[in-house]
Amino acid sequence: MDLRLRYTLITLLFCAGLPTTGFGATEIRLLYVGAEDDPAYLGVRQGLHEANLQGRFLGQIYIINVRPPGTLPAEAMSGVAAVMAAVNASELPGLAASAGGVPVFNLRAKEDALRAACTANVLHVIPSEAMLRDAVTQWQKVNPGAEVSANAWHGDFMKYAGRDLNKRFRAAHTQPMDDYAWAGWAAVKMTSDTIARLNDPNSATLLTFLRQELKFDGQKGAEMSFRGNGQLRQPLLLVQNGKITGEAPVRGVAGADDLDSLGNINPCSQEK
Amino acid sequence: MSKVCWRGNPMMRNLLVCGLVVLAWPVLSPAAGTGRIFVTNEGSDSVSVINGKTLEVEQTITIGKRPRGIGLSPDGKELYIAASEDNTIVVVDPGTLKVLRTFPAGSDPETFAVHPNGHIYISNEDDAKATVFDPASGKLIAEIPVGLEPEGVAISPDGSRVIVTSESTNMLHVIRVPEHDIVANIIVGARPRAAVFTRDGKFAYATSEISGEVKKVDMRQNKVVAVEKIADEKAKPKDVILSADEKTLYVAGGRADTVIVLDAATLKIKANIPVGKRVWGLARSKDGGRIYSTDGASNSVSAIDTAKNEVIKTIPVGELPWGIVIDD
Repeated sequence: MDLRLRYTLITLLFCAGLPTTGFGATEIRLLYVGAEDDPAYLGVRQGLHEANLQGRFLGQIYIINVRPPGTLPAEAMSGVAAVMAAVNASELPGLAASAGGVPVFNLRAKEDALRAACTANVLHVIPSEAMLRDAVTQWQKVNPGAEVSANAWHGDFMKYAGRDLNKRFRAAHTQPMDDYAWAGWAAVKMTSDTIARLNDPNSATLLTFLRQELKFDGQKGAEMSFRGNGQLRQPLLLVQNGKITGEAPVRGVAGADDLDSLGNINPCSQEK
Repeated sequence: MSKVCWRGNPMMRNLLVCGLVVLAWPVLSPAAGTGRIFVTNEGSDSVSVINGKTLEVEQTITIGKRPRGIGLSPDGKELYIAASEDNTIVVVDPGTLKVLRTFPAGSDPETFAVHPNGHIYISNEDDAKATVFDPASGKLIAEIPVGLEPEGVAISPDGSRVIVTSESTNMLHVIRVPEHDIVANIIVGARPRAAVFTRDGKFAYATSEISGEVKKVDMRQNKVVAVEKIADEKAKPKDVILSADEKTLYVAGGRADTVIVLDAATLKIKANIPVGKRVWGLARSKDGGRIYSTDGASNSVSAIDTAKNEVIKTIPVGELPWGIVIDD
């Protein structure tokens, strides 16, 4: 057991505060693949902390191992419920193949081609290029000439429970939450929400539920779920000169809950 | 006499005097209140005081920053308001509208409920805690760790159980009184907002904002027994209250801009009452004839006739009206 992991476990047991949680507990193992200085990893850590907060009521303890980008040796996948991947587009397919059917959350690669690949065990939490593009197009229909960027998240987002999540993240990590950190947090959160609901950490059951039944609260005000191509439906934030200027779907162009107005391309055969 | 008993004095010190007053009161028919409707305006740091007869705002008072949760003491003599950004509960006389006292109430007090014994059960959103205060002394009675972003608080009429909803942990935490330990954690739909008990305490209803659901929970088995998914995608269920006869459930529909009327037994939707935008809080008159909704994005309160299920008056209030209570 490396020092970091041991530290995590000790912290978890200490934080849980209840000896009963430490011993009769179910251990759920996650794997993070990526750089440790990636904001996505901070988001994963935030999600892990929150998963353990929930876990203390249910007798569940989450632990995470870290590996650098690349394909995974079989032993790395032993007992892993889900993989959180902050890798680039060229590395993702190989990683997904080596994960052996375990859900792999894509936290970083926005390329549309990865969605078109319809890989059964890949769940894209980071928005695709097509989604970002559609959000900007919608915005410009109402605000011609505006130069905005579309984002998954922003450190100043206050609406819904954005304020709460940003406050928690900033307090823990002394920096604002960005798109990748949000994706990391969201991937762990939807995993722990699902395992809490099913009371079953089996990775195949988890993948099926995530793909078919998820109603995720990503603290952006809308219920999120996965498209058949593995892309997470989600509202996006429009940012101009570093400040939030709007939300997509853009009211007046699309319904506030019409999340498929954003980049719904590449439908796969398993579309639900 | 009663004013002297309660105002500005710790309850315990006046136990004898208060006891006599309470004994002299006719059983089960507490004095009629001021008839006022109190509304917290989260955005303008104020409380609107509405005359219950004329349905006009008679006064707007300023008492603290980001007022949200609001409630009355069991005897109706004190109005409590959570000033979330001041981390305090402000105690106001509902008759004179004077601030009687203020006490610290943990970090970011949001919603609370008043126990039949007079204690206040608060959800502290930033702290993942529920706290219990004695409003007479301002003393902290208990602190109960709950899930992330605790929100709704409901207390069974006999006072033996308290439900705290944690929005980000998707649970109803069932807390036992007086032990103040958690006896059950019931997993519900995403972002549980509010809960209400039936009078006999056997059932509770809870709303989930993001999953758009209303759930009926058997409180003896701590088990969900019925679920209704609100078909309108825009519906983000928030506050929930029961009709006087407990046959009907009213749910604030959030972005659907409606109050949703459900059959309390089957949870089937009976009506949708269009109100203002982003409807949030609900309150019912004691006689059941009216309900009121706070319409956050319209800066108004809707008064609804429950016989007709329609709005009889829209009352302009402050910015982002949030909580509402009727002193009847």
